[in-house]
Amino acid sequence: MTGPEWLAPESLEEALALKAGWGEDATVVAGGTFVGLLLNQRLLAPAALLSLRDVPGLGAIGVEGGQLRLGALVTHRAVERSAVVRDGWPALAGTFRLVASPRVRNQATVGGVLADADHASDPPSTFTALGASCVVRSVRGERVVPVSELITGFYATSLAPDELVVEVRVPGGPHRAVYRKFRSRSHEDRPCVGVAACRRDGELRVVVGAVAERPQWFPELCDPAAAPAEIARAYAAAIDPISDVSGSSAYRKRVIEVEVRRALEALS
Amino acid sequence: MRSRRFRDRAGRDRKAGRCSARRDGSDGDGGRVTDPRVTGAARYAIDSELPGMLHARIVRSPYPHARVVRVDASSIPPGTVALVPDDVRELGRYGVQIRDQTVLALDRALHVGDPVAAVAAPTARDAEEAAALVEVDYEELPAVADVLEAVAPGAPLVHDEHVLSSGGAAYFGLRPQPGTNVCHRFRIRHGDVDAGFAEADVVVQDVFRTAGAQHAHMEPHACLASWEGETLHVRTGTQTPFNLREELAQVFGLEQERVRVVAPPMGGSFGAKTFLRAEAIAAALARKAGRPVKLVIPRSEEWLTLNRHPAVIELAIGARADGVLLAKRVACYADTGAYADCGPGVAQKMGFAAPGPYRIPNVAVDAYCVYTNTPPNGAFRGYGQMQSTWASERAMDMLADRLGLDPLELRLRNLLRDGDRYCTGETMHDVHFAECLEAAAEAIGWRDGRRGKGLAVMLKGMQTPSRASVAIEAGTDGGYVLRCATTEMGQGARAALTRLAAELLEVEPARVRFPDPDTGLVPYDTRTTSSRSTYMMGRALAEAVRDLRANGGRRGYGEIANPGGLDPDTGQGVASTHWHQGAAAAEVRVDEETGKVEVVRLHAAIYAGRVVDRASAELQNEGSMIMGLGTALFEEVVLADGAVANANLSDYAVPSFADLPGRLTHELLERDGAEIHGLGETALPPVPPAIGNAAGSLGVRATELPLTPERVLAALEERP
Repeated sequence: MTGPEWLAPESLEEALALKAGWGEDATVVAGGTFVGLLLNQRLLAPAALLSLRDVPGLGAIGVEGGQLRLGALVTHRAVERSAVVRDGWPALAGTFRLVASPRVRNQATVGGVLADADHASDPPSTFTALGASCVVRSVRGERVVPVSELITGFYATSLAPDELVVEVRVPGGPHRAVYRKFRSRSHEDRPCVGVAACRRDGELRVVVGAVAERPQWFPELCDPAAAPAEIARAYAAAIDPISDVSGSSAYRKRVIEVEVRRALEALS
Repeated sequence: MRSRRFRDRAGRDRKAGRCSARRDGSDGDGGRVTDPRVTGAARYAIDSELPGMLHARIVRSPYPHARVVRVDASSIPPGTVALVPDDVRELGRYGVQIRDQTVLALDRALHVGDPVAAVAAPTARDAEEAAALVEVDYEELPAVADVLEAVAPGAPLVHDEHVLSSGGAAYFGLRPQPGTNVCHRFRIRHGDVDAGFAEADVVVQDVFRTAGAQHAHMEPHACLASWEGETLHVRTGTQTPFNLREELAQVFGLEQERVRVVAPPMGGSFGAKTFLRAEAIAAALARKAGRPVKLVIPRSEEWLTLNRHPAVIELAIGARADGVLLAKRVACYADTGAYADCGPGVAQKMGFAAPGPYRIPNVAVDAYCVYTNTPPNGAFRGYGQMQSTWASERAMDMLADRLGLDPLELRLRNLLRDGDRYCTGETMHDVHFAECLEAAAEAIGWRDGRRGKGLAVMLKGMQTPSRASVAIEAGTDGGYVLRCATTEMGQGARAALTRLAAELLEVEPARVRFPDPDTGLVPYDTRTTSSRSTYMMGRALAEAVRDLRANGGRRGYGEIANPGGLDPDTGQGVASTHWHQGAAAAEVRVDEETGKVEVVRLHAAIYAGRVVDRASAELQNEGSMIMGLGTALFEEVVLADGAVANANLSDYAVPSFADLPGRLTHELLERDGAEIHGLGETALPPVPPAIGNAAGSLGVRATELPLTPERVLAALEERP
């Protein structure tokens, strides 16, 4: 009787080769905050765990061509505390600061929170509102996927079985963004409703998280000239929220309207 | 009275600072860490090991109510031992108040998580995998999960009969109602309640609800059982070593002396580690395997092992136009889950506390302990008190509102004073409800404006009757050994009793040793519950020291017995020889668009009589208040189709430090020459109604805990 095989590659090439070989039978683990929970709750029983802990080169925060580049292994805590991020993308630093507790944030990674596609995570909404993309690699090559197209459903992504998220890129330049996290219970809780909004170059993006299988973004409802209350009403009408221990569907609909309006008011 | 006030994490004063310096585990002068809990030297039950021991895992029913048709453990691997119903069919039943439990479910499994089999294997992982290989066939039966449905005529019966226990924890007349799901009914009849209501100018009536909660103690339930011939040894985290010994003797048909329970310090308990939990399964496996067996309950199974009683409380209170209380009628329904455990005691305490600390000439209380097909509920910090204080103190504010009176004035007009009789007929002594309440009100600036502010006051009984005994032995080195069954769960009992003993013996505390309680070595004690230990054991210690001095100084024995108890049909007698008294005050903000309640200020004022160990006493207050905050705002065991839907610490929210109000303060009221008053729980029950009343002052007519934003929003919308 044994547990999953522990794969600990020491280079990205080795990691990609292992992922190509194992495919979906290997669950990727970085900080372990999400995979650990699933393993403990017996919701996951993979044949192998592919640890990225010893893979070098995925832990950097930098700016290139005005774009923010976050390595997949950058921790939440590092994003939260990075001077570069706080200066150029304050809403992003603020979003990461609101995740769980420092204990979790010291472990959880940027790549992990996207690839897990957990509907109740905070950062995916802000990444989507900011127009961020993931750099995805496999032995076959590299592609760039907008975060809005990465997460496709509850714990589901458009990643192929041999692909790894290696970096997240966030456009720079002048913008105003905000993330509002509404918790119905403890401060360390996941959101009942999370709202990210961003105005950039005359464009408005509003993204609502934790209420459905993936971050909810309706470009057709994001008229930059519309009043906050109007957009808020439209979002509440467009979303069919889930019910869980954080709140019922009907309650979430109410909160979506309130929090979208408040987010947009904070932007203007 | 001297009133001492200690400011909090925000307004930390010199004393609080000193206390936290010591609490970090350092020795206070060189920064060297010596506290065994910090250095890792502490040995809890979960650390217990014996050569050759096996690890156990329980196989649990997935159904709220099902016939167990077949249990087949034939495919478990070699080296693994299984315990199936046929192995335990001949063993005795247990249950401290009602004998309604068997070591495994024999024919019917009564809740999701009811143990139907168990395995023991060389490693915990092996045990988990072997448990998955045990095949069980079930036939689902009609179940009842709601307490009011369970008392309705025609409800499915959880148990066919109610066999009373004769053990040491069955200390009052139990009144099971045959042919129903009510395993105990307790009544108070005082005055003429109908006449009282007829005379009342205003009557407030409502139904109040409180949720189930999980203790969330850091160390899970853990025990190690082994047999030496016909003697059973159990090392386990327990607050009740003697009750556990009695129960295990009952199960295995042994003389009590053939069961030896050793109780190392617990990594938290809050009531969860009381009476018999999983020790009988470990012991039965150990006997079958012929080897020691260790059983640690996985975190997710804690919600299936023991929670706090959810309750429904129907309440009516009547007063004269000037605010004088005339009558109160209360029905309490305590949902005890599938097994009674100490639920009858919880229901009774809920009942006798429901009148509150007030002079009310006409009182009728009916308290019911009710079976449902849900995981068992038992002792939880506050023990029934939180539930009825929520109802009682919310109703007082509703009454004040109807009368157009200041809620503080309404309470002060009716609070019990020294020498008053409670509705149980007993005379109240050393009464300080008004001082506690006034201190709480003052702390939040009540008289400067009461919008967004709320108060609550409560009385809480201590285990009565109860008995404590202790032996002191002189060592050859000039030191002493305490032989004492009081258990340590982080509350500081060991430190407090060591300090008391050292004072009495006139030696340094370092000269007094207090080994882990071992029922083979220590004299009898009722149990370490209901905030009784420092008070009861402190008095027994004084007796023991007198005895030691009178008999040559080598050995002394002291025993204290507090008689008392209530007639279960009239509620007359002595509910408590010693009342815990406390009040809380809260200030809140409510987001009117989302219903979110933010507590900005919380204060508790507790009557301590005499403080023994100030640092521990302060931590008890803080811990109680923080637990009360969780109960008030979000803690709730959520059931779906009889199964716990949030059995993990991600979906079940407990307060974090970030949830604490900006100002969290408390004070311990003392009186020169007073007796020690227990204070391990006192600051919990008044916190939820203080917060509820603060929200009530903003128009939130809340009746149900927790005060989730969703409920608060609904209540706001019902405003006239």
